Parts: sequence; structure tokens; C-alpha cells
Amino acid sequence: MNRTSTLSRLQDVFREVFEDDDLTLTPSTSAADLEEWDSLMHVTLILAVEGAFGVRFTSAQVSSLETVGDLVSLIEARG
Amino acid sequence: MSDTREPSSLSDAPARVRALFEHTARAHPRSARNLYEARDAHPARFDALTDELLASCERVLGDRALEVTVGGFVRFSNGVAFDQARYERDGAYAHKRYEEVNAALYSQTEEMSDYLWGCALTNVLWVHHLELSLFYIDRFLGRAAREAAGAAAPVVVELAPGHGWWGRLALRRLPRATLRAFDISPASMLIARALADVDGLGARASYAQMDATRAVEGEGAVADLCVCNFLVEHLERPADLLASIAHLLKPGGWAFFSGALTAAQVDHIYEFRRESELVALAEGAGLRAVETMSLGPERVLKGARLLPRSMSLILHKRPSGAAWGEGGR
Repeated sequence: MNRTSTLSRLQDVFREVFEDDDLTLTPSTSAADLEEWDSLMHVTLILAVEGAFGVRFTSAQVSSLETVGDLVSLIEARG
Repeated sequence: MSDTREPSSLSDAPARVRALFEHTARAHPRSARNLYEARDAHPARFDALTDELLASCERVLGDRALEVTVGGFVRFSNGVAFDQARYERDGAYAHKRYEEVNAALYSQTEEMSDYLWGCALTNVLWVHHLELSLFYIDRFLGRAAREAAGAAAPVVVELAPGHGWWGRLALRRLPRATLRAFDISPASMLIARALADVDGLGARASYAQMDATRAVEGEGAVADLCVCNFLVEHLERPADLLASIAHLLKPGGWAFFSGALTAAQVDHIYEFRRESELVALAEGAGLRAVETMSLGPERVLKGARLLPRSMSLILHKRPSGAAWGEGGR
């Protein structure tokens, strides 16, 4: 899977978690761009990502994520 | 998330508190909301306690204080949130055995230090733990201060002090008190001792690295006050801990005892489900819970079935030294 298709699938997960069908992600999207992306929503999001991509992260790995691009890289590394 | 409030809402906060918010917004934006929630609950007291705690950390850690403590707090809080989500999914805490957690965490100085600096900040930055800190200061230490007025210097025994926050609060607010603290973690003893020393409290405090549940061995009823926060859920046999507290307390003595309920964390192994279980433990040791406070966080995971709570109890030992009666004959 390449980064573009990972980003596209990730966008679907974000749309479901944030309940926003118009949400559009770029690699630089961060918590500063999504008002609801706080620490608790981050957990819900990461668990949804784990389920969608069939991967498992440690809390240390996902705590330091800053952007969607960082999350794409993490998924690619685990895939 | 970036909290959308203007920085001017912090204009009356001490410089250290403003620096804390600025650092968190910049380095850990998803966690900024927690800080505002806690400060909004009790602005003046949040500012005073947070400033007191950060000043101590600064004296030990220097310029790295915010990076170390806030980073630790964010990692600690995220770890708790992830553990809670997996607990919801799996229906059980991840670990069941004390020795597993001791080998993986308590004995690991580097990991444990990060854990402890982060955990220290939860006492003011998690709004429900800020409330418990105030309960401790106002209701437990307040009572102790009134009772100790004119009496000999009270002895405070703290079991599993971790970062040592609770014991230092007691020493500050009870100027003649002495503190004896026991914790199994070497990192805990280093950090708690360093913080007490830089705060000028070291001469009244002793910290011994040993299993807190064995602190009772070779000791009589030595404590006017006993403090034991968030140890009980880390144990396989919690009743033993309450027996130790009851043993260590002098007749008429008071204990401040806290535990976590349906609240997962990497090192929580005993799953308390109801507040009544903690009360029953105290009663089983012959103590009486005269005041309690149980609180959950302001927000929980989306779709959560379980409400994680932290509960504190103020416990009293009968002045005669015997167990309190049960009524009837």
C-alpha cells in the first residue's frame, strides 16, 4: 500500500470517528486543524485505525504523533 | 486539540502557570484542554497548587522542568486512556500479578522516573484529582492541623509515596510534623527525597526503599496520620494493606486512603468495581470511613460502558485502639 492510498483510507476512518463526511486530510493535518482532536478523541481514533488497518501500536508510539503524515508513516512501518 | 480561549484568560495566573499552558499548547496541543478544565474548576487554588508543584520540580530539574514534567504527564495520561480503552474492549486489566508489574515498571528507574514526574502533575491537572488534592488539604490535613494544635509533633507515615506530593503537602501544612515514607521503587525514593530536600523539608522526612506493605514489620502503632494513595489497586491482596494501615495508626489516628475503581492503568491489577468495596476493606480492618469522595473525569471515552473513578476516604481508628463496634450485642 502506498502513502496516498493509506491517507485515503485514513481519511475514511477520521470521517467516521469525527462524524464529519466532509473532513479532508493532508499529511500536515494536526490537532490544531481539528478542534475535536483532543487526547481522548485521539485514543478513539487510534483504536479505530488499529481495527481498520489490522495493526497494533504502543501508547508511546501514538502519544508522540503530531500530524496525519506521522500516522501514515507509522501505519506503513507496521504494515 | 488547541483550546480556543485567548491567552489573556491566564493574565492573572502566576508566571509558572502561564508558562505551563504555553508549553503544553505548543508541545502537546491535544492535551491543552485538560489544563483549562482543571483551572476553570478552582482558578485561584489551581494556580497556587500548580505553582507550588512546578516550583519544586524546577528546583530539581532546572530549565528542563516543563519538558520533563509535562512530557511525562502527557505520556502518563495517554497511557491511562489507552489502557482504559483496551480494558473496555477486553473486560479485564492487562496484568494480574504484582511481580509482573514490578519487573516491568517499578524497578526500572528511567521508565519509572518519567511515570512519576507525569503522575505528580495529575494531582493538579486532572480536574477530579485536583478535587481530591483539595479534599486532602482541607478535610484531612485541616482536621490534623486543628487536632495537632498544642500537641506534640505528629508522625506521618506514607505508604508508596511515589513522587512524594502528598507527604510534602503534609509537611508544609503541619510545620511540626515528621514524615516516614516507604516505597518499593528506587526512582520514587530518589525523586521524593530530592523534592523534599529542595523544598527545605528534608530534615523532617525519611524515605526508605522497601515494600510499603511490609513497612509494618517491626513497627508498632507509630503513626498519628497515615497517607496511602493509589497503592491498593496495585496489590493482589488489598486487605493486607488495610490491616497494615490499621496496625501503624496510633489509637485515635487518622488515615487518608485512595484507590482507583474500574480505572485501568498498566500497573493496576486489582479491579475494584464499587465504592462500597473500599469502604468494606477499611471496615474489615476495624477502621471507620468518616468522609469519602469519589470522582470520575470530566470526559470519558466515546461510547464508554465503564466510568473510571478515583476515591479517597478519611479513615479513623478508635481512640481505645480496638476496632469500632458494629452495633447491637
